[in-house]
Amino acid sequence: MIIDCNANLGQWPFRRTAYSTPDQLVERLARVQIDHAWVTSLDAVMLKDVTAANEPLAEAVADHTQLTAIGTVNPKWPAWGSDVEACAEQFGMPGVRVNPNYQSWTLEEPVFADLLAAARDLGLFVEIAVRMTDERHHHPLVMVPPVALSGLLANALEYSDVPIVVANAKNAEAGSVARDSGGDLPDNLFFELSHFESVGGVQSVAENIGVEHVLFGTHAPYFYPEAATLKVFDECDFSEADLEAITHANAERLLAGD
Amino acid sequence: MSISGGIIDCHIHPNADLGSTPEETAETLLRYADRMGIEMMGLSLGPIFHPQPTEEQIEADNTFNANIIALHPDRFFGYANINPNRLYHALSEISERIENGPFIGIKLWIAMCCTHPNLDPICERAAELGVPILQHTFLRPEGNLAGESSPADLVELAARHPDTTFIGAHTGFNWEQGAREFADQANIVADTCGGDPDMGFVETAVRWMGADRVLYGSDAGGRSFATQLAKVHGADISDADKEKILRTNAKRVLNL
Repeated sequence: MIIDCNANLGQWPFRRTAYSTPDQLVERLARVQIDHAWVTSLDAVMLKDVTAANEPLAEAVADHTQLTAIGTVNPKWPAWGSDVEACAEQFGMPGVRVNPNYQSWTLEEPVFADLLAAARDLGLFVEIAVRMTDERHHHPLVMVPPVALSGLLANALEYSDVPIVVANAKNAEAGSVARDSGGDLPDNLFFELSHFESVGGVQSVAENIGVEHVLFGTHAPYFYPEAATLKVFDECDFSEADLEAITHANAERLLAGD
Repeated sequence: MSISGGIIDCHIHPNADLGSTPEETAETLLRYADRMGIEMMGLSLGPIFHPQPTEEQIEADNTFNANIIALHPDRFFGYANINPNRLYHALSEISERIENGPFIGIKLWIAMCCTHPNLDPICERAAELGVPILQHTFLRPEGNLAGESSPADLVELAARHPDTTFIGAHTGFNWEQGAREFADQANIVADTCGGDPDMGFVETAVRWMGADRVLYGSDAGGRSFATQLAKVHGADISDADKEKILRTNAKRVLNL
């Protein structure tokens, strides 16, 4: 059983991606034995009203039991609380994603705590996308720095009952949070592995932050999904228990709120 | 898919975090390469990257890599690091490290943009020896670093030296543009290394350059063998083309 905690539907404005529809994505992920995927909307990232993408996303996956829609919200946008409520109550989503760098706010601002409080009230997890593409691939007129993770740890400790997923973070970014935590990340903090690099890098990061904090993710179809499966199953030498944790048990624990 | 013979990775580096000695570095690389089906790996640069290396740094890195090759000549090959700003020394290193072995190519990084006339005698020497030049190519949205070559720079150099074979590293990193830049310059092949495993990379390179002109490389140890192999294994191209990219093109270009 493999749960992909970081897949996408729709189109990125600066590159056409194949496998961008639900049917295509499900088929593409099945090729590498991925059974289920949490999907966000690529279209949402650059929209001013990001929530305009949520209803279409929910409708798109409604007939696909292999996909779970994750809405996008912007806590700087007027009446954003109703958008979070819609994700939970209208669309039945288990979590919401934010793109603070594209939405012009930081994790140190009060809006992040406000979002976590709203998520707690509704039983949602919150996912932070650190980046969408390598900064060196950005369009020269749309260069967006990655999300700084300062402020993440303090808020994760303050809102210890809200699961927080950090997506698209690199080894050093996950490592810096682990270092700041004194090597003991809060139980509610998870890092998705699609951007972990270097030879044996997933295993190095897992040893650093704790395997119980690692979620399997592909960033497909922007990335080839084989990158994640080859990293986890071939390049690294995880125990069966660690593979269980990374590929689905951690995600299931997150959803169960354990 | 399985290929007849192992995968050839044309572009790796012995980063310091892989080991502090040639023995440790080789052991680490081989442990992971074996898991990924990689038979041979092409070394360049050294444990620490020097944008403007001194002669001493060049010699130390070349010696480090030569020692790795000596330990496992069936698993590693290498490119002679040179600095074109130190042309006499560069030509001397080429003679010493290629003519006398063990290196089978030349590595050029970012010490000097490759359009500079200092590159001409280096390219002529490469042609005489029948070895390729692995040239770093990049396209940064804010403009390249001083001394860093773009795909268009390499095309300009390659046009001046039609008898020399060039490996355009990273396909320019912004591969959608790099593959197009390289398309009509037949003495340039491109490697797929470095950068994220963006879907479409290899398909685009094959579309513009043809499968005979694309080589798998990883940029390990900074990059994962797995993420870079995924670009080929996951590409929507034929198994025959994948075999070319993973092995047979490198055997031809590098005379392995």
